[in-house]
Amino acid sequence: MSEFSVIGKRLPKVDAQEKVVGRSVFAADLDLPGMLYGKIVRCLKYAHAKVTKLDLSEAAKVPGVVKVLAPGDVSSKEYNTGVLDLLVPMGDLADQYLFTGWVKHQGDAIAGIIAKTEEAAERAAEKVIVEYEPLPVYLTAEESMKPDAIQFHPEKPGNRACTLPDQMPNNAYGWGDVDEAFKNADIIVEDTFYVPKVKQCQMEPHAYVALYDDRGRLNCWTSTQMPKLVQAKLSRFFNLPMNQVKINQTTVGGGFGSRLGMVAEPETCAMAMAVRGRPVKVQYLREEDWIASESRHPGKYWMKMGFKNDGTPVACDAKFISYKGGYYTHGSGVVFTTGSWLIGMYKFGACRYKGETYYTNQAPSGAYRGYGNPQTNWAMEQMVDRACAKLGIDPVEWRLKWHKAVGDDSSILGMPYKSCGLDACLNEGAETFGWKEKRQRYANQLGAKRRGIGVAVMNHCSNASPFLLEHTACTIKMNQDATAEVISNCSDLGTGGHTALQQIAAESLGLRMEDVHMKVQDSDAAGFDIGAHASRTVHMGGWAIIEAAEKVKATILERAAKHFEINVEDLVINDKKIHPKGSPDLFIEMKTICDQGISNFVDFSTGKTIGVPGQIVEHSSHFAAHNAPPFAATFVEVEVDTETGELKLIEAVTAHDIGRAIHPPSVEGQLEGGFQQGAGMAMMEETYYDKNGLCLNSNFTDYKMLGPSDMPKVKIILVEEPDPVSPYGAKSCGESGLVTPTGAVANAVFNAIGVQISEGPITPEKILMAIKEKDGAF
Amino acid sequence: MKTRSITIYVNGEAYSLNVAVNRTLLQVLREDLGMPDTKYGCGTGECGACTVLIDGKKSILACLSLAVLMDGAKITTVAGLETEGKLHPVQEAFVNEGAIQCGYCTPGMVMKSVSILAKYPKPTEEDIRRELEGNICRCTGYVKIVQAIQKAGDALASTC
Amino acid sequence: MSSRILPEFDLLVPQSIPEAVEMLSKYQDKAAVLAGGTDLLVLMKSGLKVPYIVSLSEVPGLDYVLYDPNDGLRIGAMATLAQVADNADIKKNYAALWESAAVNGTPQTRNRATVVGNILRASPAGDCCAAALALGGKVVLQGAAGKREVDIDNFWVAYRTTARQAFEFAVEYKIPANVGKSAFIRMTRADQDLSKLNAAVCLNMSGNVCQGARLAIGCVAPTTVRMKKAEEILKGKEITDSVLKEVEEAVKGEVTPIDDVRSSAWYRKEVSGILMKRTIQKACA
Repeated sequence: MSEFSVIGKRLPKVDAQEKVVGRSVFAADLDLPGMLYGKIVRCLKYAHAKVTKLDLSEAAKVPGVVKVLAPGDVSSKEYNTGVLDLLVPMGDLADQYLFTGWVKHQGDAIAGIIAKTEEAAERAAEKVIVEYEPLPVYLTAEESMKPDAIQFHPEKPGNRACTLPDQMPNNAYGWGDVDEAFKNADIIVEDTFYVPKVKQCQMEPHAYVALYDDRGRLNCWTSTQMPKLVQAKLSRFFNLPMNQVKINQTTVGGGFGSRLGMVAEPETCAMAMAVRGRPVKVQYLREEDWIASESRHPGKYWMKMGFKNDGTPVACDAKFISYKGGYYTHGSGVVFTTGSWLIGMYKFGACRYKGETYYTNQAPSGAYRGYGNPQTNWAMEQMVDRACAKLGIDPVEWRLKWHKAVGDDSSILGMPYKSCGLDACLNEGAETFGWKEKRQRYANQLGAKRRGIGVAVMNHCSNASPFLLEHTACTIKMNQDATAEVISNCSDLGTGGHTALQQIAAESLGLRMEDVHMKVQDSDAAGFDIGAHASRTVHMGGWAIIEAAEKVKATILERAAKHFEINVEDLVINDKKIHPKGSPDLFIEMKTICDQGISNFVDFSTGKTIGVPGQIVEHSSHFAAHNAPPFAATFVEVEVDTETGELKLIEAVTAHDIGRAIHPPSVEGQLEGGFQQGAGMAMMEETYYDKNGLCLNSNFTDYKMLGPSDMPKVKIILVEEPDPVSPYGAKSCGESGLVTPTGAVANAVFNAIGVQISEGPITPEKILMAIKEKDGAF
Repeated sequence: MKTRSITIYVNGEAYSLNVAVNRTLLQVLREDLGMPDTKYGCGTGECGACTVLIDGKKSILACLSLAVLMDGAKITTVAGLETEGKLHPVQEAFVNEGAIQCGYCTPGMVMKSVSILAKYPKPTEEDIRRELEGNICRCTGYVKIVQAIQKAGDALASTC
Repeated sequence: MSSRILPEFDLLVPQSIPEAVEMLSKYQDKAAVLAGGTDLLVLMKSGLKVPYIVSLSEVPGLDYVLYDPNDGLRIGAMATLAQVADNADIKKNYAALWESAAVNGTPQTRNRATVVGNILRASPAGDCCAAALALGGKVVLQGAAGKREVDIDNFWVAYRTTARQAFEFAVEYKIPANVGKSAFIRMTRADQDLSKLNAAVCLNMSGNVCQGARLAIGCVAPTTVRMKKAEEILKGKEITDSVLKEVEEAVKGEVTPIDDVRSSAWYRKEVSGILMKRTIQKACA
């Protein structure tokens, strides 16, 4: 028997019905009166070039074309599509333009076309006359940091877009003296890992509609993850007061960080500004996704670890040099966070992390689920297993012994962990997976097909504090019938966020699910919220709701106390009725109180006041007092065909320290989906470029992801040890699922073939090469 | 010819149109007929977001079908699966099993699932996974989608 | 080029084979023939401009799959991969073709894509191409002058180039009866994928002895090719481990693959022999 009425229930998601009948509205589904179609003209020929000639006159003549936009039209201001500049003062750079004369990556926007039909805009784009002066192309940090390289921005010498702040000694963070500590190591493992440029590949292609209406309001329909921040950005960019910018957040068809900020809202809104009164719709082609929206930060992750013979971890030194792509965007973000999950994981005697990111001529690197954690997992977990193999220590046993836990400094130095379910994750996960038995069974294999097992662990976060601004506001408005409107700007990316928040609202208000309506996706209505990132929605959205709900209940109790003429402490709320303790039959209904407050507060026969006049509307602003890092362990079994290098996933178990699963199917779903992305990153996903920086696989034909037949059996274990500082004890799960599969798959391959492959993704080509180099000693 | 008059049947209703020959069925459904339930995901036949059914059971891709060559075709889209407001067992199962996250792949995925069960009334998990190829989901890892199809199969079998 | 919008073209919809032939005679290489569309429309979305498209969708009688135990197999121009994959006779008697049709593309594309189309596409990665080259047979072409047949061995003349003349269209692919035991295997990155390497074999067995073999391999040359040296090794021999080892080495030595986005020349060469060996073993199983 659950202690909760709706928390923890496996109920259908609140948006499932409209999605399953195809009636949920994505931005591309909008059809507004008088709508025009915008086409962003991009440089497809070069990855780095100056535009020497741009002639839009022929394009403008194509029948159906309404307007053409060149660089400088509507606005020549710089902007930054990321949002970190609104959340933390880290000197983020605004270096992007609506339409550019200096192409910094294939896919950069050089002009805009507005037409009456999509086809007319497309035909007009073909008539754009453009000439370029090609520039040298830099595809790695090593290339762009060379002294003679073209400088992408005058404020970033050496093309280093970002490094750790100067306030940190040696631009590094960690603890202890690693150089000294290494001297005490019995063994040292060291390597440089290559992290590929992987793409979110959300199923909804980017699409926008914008309208600059007759009241001078800029309305933008977008599936951004961060509606209030985008409102602020567009307000600044177009010099409009905030109340003149309206963001209608459409159904988000997958985010994964691809929409953590803006993508093409600026261009679409600029087009709308150019044709006042007419909505303009811009729809991305799938093939534009890889070349004109952000990816994970790829790069080289150097790591060195020292251990005693008994496994004691004495030191860890790490540096992640990432490739930023053509523009700054999230430059200050991943460079920093990548190390936080490294330092938060194990009890090294000393630890040091450095991060840098360098401009390259590719679509910018930005936010992708995990935000540096998958990169860390990929390197860190492989290094640990390398050491365990050398020392003859079981990888699960080592992790059980040496992971950080309650009381240890977390991923945020100076803030200790308040909860940690990792022991349960490792133990239950190992048990379910059959770790010990499989380790024995696979210890001595013969034959061409080899099985291998691997484990990886992680810690993540449940909001972005204390690094970034953390604030979520919520208003709860009670209708006459005691149904509630919960007004919030929290986003649901398909994650189940709105469902979980509605559950939290219902539970904390003492109402049923159907008594609560989430008024979301409207920047006019709701107060501030950062948006969906840092896996913060349940934590921050949840607390904001709970705080507002507590105020609602307090007001209701106050009014009931007045009605019963007793003290508030002597009353209980139960099943939408308020009654004195011990006298359940003597009650006043919640709806009576609400109704009296709105329209029935006068007795017309006597003229006397009934109840307490005033609609019950309560507001909260929640600032994160805490972070609540979740932990997890993933176990993977693989099979390697040693004759061909082919890699097959056999089984996976992820045990996640969720604290409390508000909506268990959504938690499972997030972890299952995260596995598909994390294992994909480990095995087959990468964006490839030719030597001129032109993308070779900007399509699903050649950007391969795990499909239904590639996925193994996946079992999710939810470890529920309620977290003391989280709403109903719930920690996050949104990003976590992607993190551990990267390390676990790599470690399973290592176990199968005895060789580690440090360059991701681990393809059959690399496996076979590794096997051959080992002289096929099987 | 540059345009052609066709009559197509979508979810049981006849629509007579004069269509340019270079328009796909996807464009005609979404734009000419105002039915945005079928989605554009890639336009090149990889993702299955535009999956519709012919004759209630054969799955095809609307993005790679010329509309003018579909004269007389009986097409079902996801909006046509409900009967009298009651969800199709596949839709019911998707909702109940938690097989829907962002919902963008859902229309195509549901239509594909209907076609799978039409061909394999008692599918094995292997049948389901093999036949689901061609529909990409980036949210679910396919786990609950496979479970939903199994449940829907059971439900359909028990009503026969 | 746009995956959302096709370029403009003039569509021709013949109602009979003679009409189709007439159109091709008139427009020749200004025209592309549209069968299933899963290749042509994708190419057009990637920038291919074709002034005329001749659609076969309303020409009756092209979607046949006819098997006769004595006459063999005849597959019409509009017969889909799904039709082949659903055909028990093909599964039994032309296993390589059956397998290639069953795994190529996706269920949705298989409901439209055609075997003849895959052969005409002449991609060295074509799955049905590998099967066809192993099984043998002929492509039947029809032009204004009438029909002619081209051996599959001579059908692919260069990368993506066939023996079809611009005024002809392929009406049928046919294979004789009793071709022997066959099999097809492909290697991909993910399960649903274009092949990075594929192989098909057809073995004429007499008990344990291989009287003759056709060994086809794709993705290692500008077209699908036969491994003639390896075929010679098998001729008249029992298929033993050591014979297979010889075949493996011969294939590895014979192929000349390249690097591309799907795989590397080194890998393809390294694995080609093993793939061929396994395909032979599959055929014999």
